[in-house]
Amino acid sequence: MITTNTLCFAYDSLNVIENASISIDEGEFIAIFGPNGGGKSTLLNLLMGFLSPTSGKIQIFNKPPKKARQWMSYVPQHFDYDAAFPITAIEVVLGGSPISWYGSVARSEKVKAHELLDTVGLKKFVHHPFSELSGGQQQRALIARALINEPKILFLDEPTSSIDPEAGQKIYELLFSLKGKMTIIMVTHLLQSAISYADRLFCVQKSVSEKSKNEVCKHFAMGLYHP
Amino acid sequence: MNFLQALMNYPTLQMALFGAIGASVASGIIGSYVVVKRIVSLSGSIAHAVLSGMGCAVYLKYTYQLDWLNPIYGALVAACLSACIIGLVHLYFREREDAVIAMIWSIGMATGVIFIAQVPGYSTELMHFLLGNVLWTSSSDLLILGALDLCILVIVFCFHSRFVQICFDEKQAKLRNLNVCGLYLLLLLLIALSIVILIQIVGIILILSMLALPASIANTFTKRLPVMMVIAVGLNILFSVGGLAISYKLDWPAGATIALFSGMIYLVNLRFKQSTRAATP
Repeated sequence: MITTNTLCFAYDSLNVIENASISIDEGEFIAIFGPNGGGKSTLLNLLMGFLSPTSGKIQIFNKPPKKARQWMSYVPQHFDYDAAFPITAIEVVLGGSPISWYGSVARSEKVKAHELLDTVGLKKFVHHPFSELSGGQQQRALIARALINEPKILFLDEPTSSIDPEAGQKIYELLFSLKGKMTIIMVTHLLQSAISYADRLFCVQKSVSEKSKNEVCKHFAMGLYHP
Repeated sequence: MNFLQALMNYPTLQMALFGAIGASVASGIIGSYVVVKRIVSLSGSIAHAVLSGMGCAVYLKYTYQLDWLNPIYGALVAACLSACIIGLVHLYFREREDAVIAMIWSIGMATGVIFIAQVPGYSTELMHFLLGNVLWTSSSDLLILGALDLCILVIVFCFHSRFVQICFDEKQAKLRNLNVCGLYLLLLLLIALSIVILIQIVGIILILSMLALPASIANTFTKRLPVMMVIAVGLNILFSVGGLAISYKLDWPAGATIALFSGMIYLVNLRFKQSTRAATP
């Protein structure tokens, strides 16, 4: 479903991704890890079509990433947002819904947004300002936004960074409940959780290589993946 | 004679009041986008570049006796042109954005001053453009203001949800296949239109006081963008009418008084918010 063939990407003359050839099947839960600056987020941006490869090819459902966006959703890190932005949790979730030409969102989408906020445990916070939610709650609202268009591929960029371990655990449980319903590709620095929940693990350190869970545990103990 | 009595008796003051209210509507709504998208300095650049268009229009008007050529038409062209240039730089050459904003800011002002300097008696004209003169608002100015206001309201009504998306999260908007470039340019064009509307009231130099300050104050009172817009419009009306009354009483320039009044309220609000935040455990 997702294949990359000798994928390379460079910022000016600095190579960030080199000869990455991977293949991901439908419904898999993939965890991407590696050191800071190793190219994890760059790989995610390439797969979503926000960056164009220097060389090589990406195919998603046999289409280039930009043409496959109708099947994708994305969960960024919650602190990427302006803390003073005047928007409520439900308005954030509806940001994933289609808009009619005159700017309105269908009633069915609003119902779906309420249901999703309920699913992610934010029923009480539907009309709460997004900026006043905790980091974990903001992250769950962003997951609800990503789910509203029923994606086939869910990309997540370190969804548990800068939130407390308990909130992080809730997010992992939420993602685990989605396993099999869609392909999940998550950049993470929490290897323990990645090992517990993911089907396959990719280490990105310029090159992209698949690692077995045992290998990751061994390398982790040796301190190889510390940021 | 107090301000209210003068308002009843002098059509000039009534025109000024209507002009100020019309400008308040546009600047309250568009200013809210400017504040949440954090493009205040970019808007300042468009505002100052407008002088080139106004200067050119004044020069052509006097040199070729084009009586129909209102400087506001020149402002409109220059504002839209600079908005497009800045927008394209933001979208495609973001690493040079600051320098380009500064370049358009200074070249726009310089060109305008040079054009106006070619016209006899230019200093009065220049001061009106720079500092505004709401008391000079004519019925034809009001018609233009009304048309621009209507244009802004209709576009905002149709595109508000999309503007919110590009202001909050451009990446998500791209993923939803929204035309982010087109929407960003449209937003900048709306800012350009608002700037043209505001020039008459507070002038080029003081424009940001009506575009950014009321919306920034409104943002401290609400966490909903539509409510923020309503509060910003209300504050703009309060500042412009209040500033007009103070300027009448003290015989100060109207535009500068309006800007000073809104600036003072902004500072008071900032201080008040800081002290309430400090008091909150």
